[in-house]
Amino acid sequence: MDLAISAIIFYVLAAAALLSAVGVVALRNPVSCALSMALCFGFVAAIFFGMGASFIGIAQIIIYAGAVLVLFLFIIMMLDVKQEEPVSGSHWFCITGVVMAGMLAGIFCTATLRLPGATGGRCPVRVLVENLGEMNLGNKSQTTPPASPASYGGALPALCPEKHGSSDARLLGENLFSHYSITFAVLGFALLAGAVGAVALGRKLHRD
Amino acid sequence: MTPLSHYLIFSGVLFSLGLAGAIIRRNILVVFMCLELMLTAANVALVGFSRAQGLEGVPVYDAQLLVLFIMAIAAAEVAVGLALIVAMFRARRGVESSSLTSLKD
Repeated sequence: MDLAISAIIFYVLAAAALLSAVGVVALRNPVSCALSMALCFGFVAAIFFGMGASFIGIAQIIIYAGAVLVLFLFIIMMLDVKQEEPVSGSHWFCITGVVMAGMLAGIFCTATLRLPGATGGRCPVRVLVENLGEMNLGNKSQTTPPASPASYGGALPALCPEKHGSSDARLLGENLFSHYSITFAVLGFALLAGAVGAVALGRKLHRD
Repeated sequence: MTPLSHYLIFSGVLFSLGLAGAIIRRNILVVFMCLELMLTAANVALVGFSRAQGLEGVPVYDAQLLVLFIMAIAAAEVAVGLALIVAMFRARRGVESSSLTSLKD
């Protein structure tokens, strides 16, 4: 098995991201948690760059590591949050959480590795549709299975948006402002509602 | 090159870590950070699928736009949630989730 340099970079970045996520869960001081979360988001942004989604990676850094993290740190320092003290009987809490999360991770891993096309280099969606057609679950309308690339089990296809004469961000923007323009406008209203709600919640209540 | 399943496993493990933190921790600020971790894990899976479904060297941009929308909604959620936490701190003088027992008592 030959490991490409991009695969090695991905594994290193994924291990670093998971380690810093463990830091978010395990560290006692909330400020350390917030900084560990920033580190994790930085590594995830690097993974996004490696997957060819450069605009998403930039947005991840700007929104999460920039805005959200600063907001978190601001609130932590404004409220002067102390370190968590271990409470008696919290071991069972920890054990329950770790066991549940471990079971969920196991479900994810086995489900991903046992997908019908995960080993043969075939698309699991297509395999599923073929098997459904064989079982014939009372679905009379025979729809032809959609043509999907057989890339789920094998290596991902190489990306080259420049072949189509434009870059990643340009293609994304064209999609955003043509197919999703109404959604984009609604999103603006959602952000406005969030800002108004934050101001309304943060106001001091006068009870007289 | 890395197959899609490894991206999905990474995303699933990151999501499980976020879930573990949301269960274990009692500081509501840290629970909120773990929620952000879970959202990011979902974003990783979406970007992986967009890459795997792509044809002719162009990924499916619908999934990446969904990631952008998730990020924007997460930013709004953080603003409202932190305002709620500040309001809770004013009312209870603390941000421990164990102090929210008024429905139990």
